[in-house]
Amino acid sequence: MTRRLLITIILMLIPALLHSQEGYREVTASGAHKLTLTVDAPRRLGGSEASKVAHETAEALQFDMVLAGPFTVTAPPATAAATGIRPGEFDFAPWRGAGVDLLVKSGYTVAGNAMTMEFRLYNVTQGKEILAKRYSGRPGDVRRIAHTFSDDIMEALTGQRGPFTGKIAFVSTRSGAKAIFLMDYDGHNVQQLTKNRSINLNPDFSPNGKEIIFTSYRQGNPDLFRRELFSGAEARISSYRGINATGAWSPDGKSIALTLSKDGNSEIYTISRDGKNARRLTNTSAIEVSPAWSPDGRKIVFVSDRLGKPQIFIMNADGSGIRRLTTSGSYNVSPRWSPKGDRIVYCRQEGGFQVYAINPDGSNDTRLTNEGSNEHPRWSPDGRFITFSSTRGGPEGIYVMRADGSGQTRVSQGKAKDSHPTWSPRW
Amino acid sequence: MRKNTLGLVSLICFSLAAAGCAKKEMVKTEETVPPVVAPKTTTPAIPAAPPAKTEPIVAQPISEAAVTAESTQPATALDTVVATLERIFFDFDSFVLSQDARDVLSRNAEYLLKKQPTARVLLEGHCDERGSDEYNLALGEKRAKAARDYLVTLGVAGNRLSVISYGEEKPLEQGNSEEAWAKNRRAEFLIVK
Repeated sequence: MTRRLLITIILMLIPALLHSQEGYREVTASGAHKLTLTVDAPRRLGGSEASKVAHETAEALQFDMVLAGPFTVTAPPATAAATGIRPGEFDFAPWRGAGVDLLVKSGYTVAGNAMTMEFRLYNVTQGKEILAKRYSGRPGDVRRIAHTFSDDIMEALTGQRGPFTGKIAFVSTRSGAKAIFLMDYDGHNVQQLTKNRSINLNPDFSPNGKEIIFTSYRQGNPDLFRRELFSGAEARISSYRGINATGAWSPDGKSIALTLSKDGNSEIYTISRDGKNARRLTNTSAIEVSPAWSPDGRKIVFVSDRLGKPQIFIMNADGSGIRRLTTSGSYNVSPRWSPKGDRIVYCRQEGGFQVYAINPDGSNDTRLTNEGSNEHPRWSPDGRFITFSSTRGGPEGIYVMRADGSGQTRVSQGKAKDSHPTWSPRW
Repeated sequence: MRKNTLGLVSLICFSLAAAGCAKKEMVKTEETVPPVVAPKTTTPAIPAAPPAKTEPIVAQPISEAAVTAESTQPATALDTVVATLERIFFDFDSFVLSQDARDVLSRNAEYLLKKQPTARVLLEGHCDERGSDEYNLALGEKRAKAARDYLVTLGVAGNRLSVISYGEEKPLEQGNSEEAWAKNRRAEFLIVK
C-alpha cells in the first residue's frame, strides 16, 4: 500500500487466550448446530460522533463473519440495550435469550485525524470474554482495523488467522484499457496500479505480498513485469520474443514459473525473480501454460494439450515425473494448488467455465460453481476461501466463496469487466 | 503482547525496507534481437562449353550486382500500421489452416512478393472468448505461426514476418454469438513501417 501501516496494537486483554480447537468445541452447544454470532452496533467511547466509522466497522465485521463459514450471523435483538462494550457494562441475558452464542462488541474514539478502536469478543453462553483488542490509526483505516479483528476472531476460535486483511489484485477494464487494480478482499478501497494504457494480465503476488508480477503489452510484446507495490517501481524481467505470461511465484519467492514461447511454442520454464537462468521444464510441440506450485515448492501443476485438448498435469519442479491429473471433462485449465496442499482448484469448460476442485492424486473431483461462467480461481492464503471471476451477474466480476463452494458472493462493483483475481498473502 | 509488538515492528521495518530497496532491485533484461538474415546471393552458373569444339573458353566477366543489405527489423506492435491484408479464420481450439485460409494466404503471399516486396508484416493471432484466456494466448500464437510458416513456404522471406498473440484480448466483434466467435478466431496481417 502507498501509505504506511499505522495500526498499533496497544492492548491485548485476554485473561486466558482460548486454545483454538478447545475454544471452538467449547462454544459449540448442540451437535451440528452452527454457532450464532452477532455483531453489535459500534459505540462511541469518547471523542466526536463518527457515523461513517460505526457503519464501516459493522459492515466489514458482518461481511467477514458471514463469509467465514462456521457462524450463522444474526442482527442484534431489539431487547439488547445500547450499553457499554466492556465486561460488566452490559447484560448477557437479552443476547442469551436471542440465541446468540458469540457476540462482537466494538467502540471508537475519534479525535480529529486520530482514532482508537476497541473490540471485544464474548462467549455469551458462558458470559465470558474471549478476546479484547485495541487498535489506533486514522478514521480512514477503519475497514482495515475491523478486518484485523475479524482475523483475530478466526485465530481465537479456530487457531488459524483469517485472510480478511488481504487484498485482491485483479485485471479490470474500468480505466478503459486492461489494467491491474488492487482492492480489499471485500471489494472496498479500489486502487489502480498500472497506468500504461496497454493490455495487462495475470497478476500474481510474491509470497511476502510486497510485489506482483504480471504480463503487459506495454512495450509491444507480452512481457513479464515485476512491480513493487509500495513504490510502484516496475522492472521488465522477462522479454523473450513471443509469450512471457502466466507467471507464478514459487512459495520461497526465489523463482517464477511461467510460459515462454521463445523456443518455438509455449512451454513451461522457471526463471529467477530477476528473470535470469531460464530453465525449460517441458518439451513438446503442444501448448503448455498456466504453471502453479505446490505449497512445498516441489511440484508444478500446469495445463497441456499434448493429448489433443487442454488437460491438467503435475510434474516435479525440475520437469521430471509428468503425470495427468484430470481425467474427466474435455477442456480443463487454470489450476492452482491450495496453500494446505490438499486440493487443486481449476476450471472446466462446459459451455461456459465452472470451477472444480480435485485432490492431487486425482480423487474427489468436485464441481464448486453452477451459475454463469466462472474462471481464474485462486486461494486465499489460509486456504479457506477461493476468489474467482464470474459472468453470472452480467459483466464479468470478482467473487469470493468458501473452499467447498458455499457462500458465493460478488465483491467487485461496477459495470466494467473484472477478471484474474488473486488474493494477497497476509498484509 | 510481546509477540504482537515484535510482529508490528518487523512489519514496519519490512515496509520501510520495501520502499527503500525497490530501485536497487530493478533489473532490465535486454530484448533479444533476432539476427538479420541477409538475402542469399546466387552465383550465376557458368555455361558449359559445347562438346565438339575445343575453342578456348572466354572468361565472361561476371557482373556482380551490389547486394543491398536489408536491415529488416522485426515488426512490433509499436510500429505504425500502414495497411492490412485479408484475414484468415480458424475453427474452435484449432490452428489448422483451412482451404479457405490457404487461399487467402496465397493471395497475401502474392501481394507481398509482387506489390510490396520489402514490406514488413506483423501477424497477429487471435482467439474467441470461449477458451481460457491463458491457454488462448498460446493458441493465438500457434495460429499466427501457422500462417507465417505457410507464407514462408509460398516464398515470403521469414525475416519480413513477425508474430504476436493477443489471445482473446482484441476481439474483432463483441458479443457471444457463434457468429461473433467465428469472426474472432483469426489471424491478422498488418503491414507496418
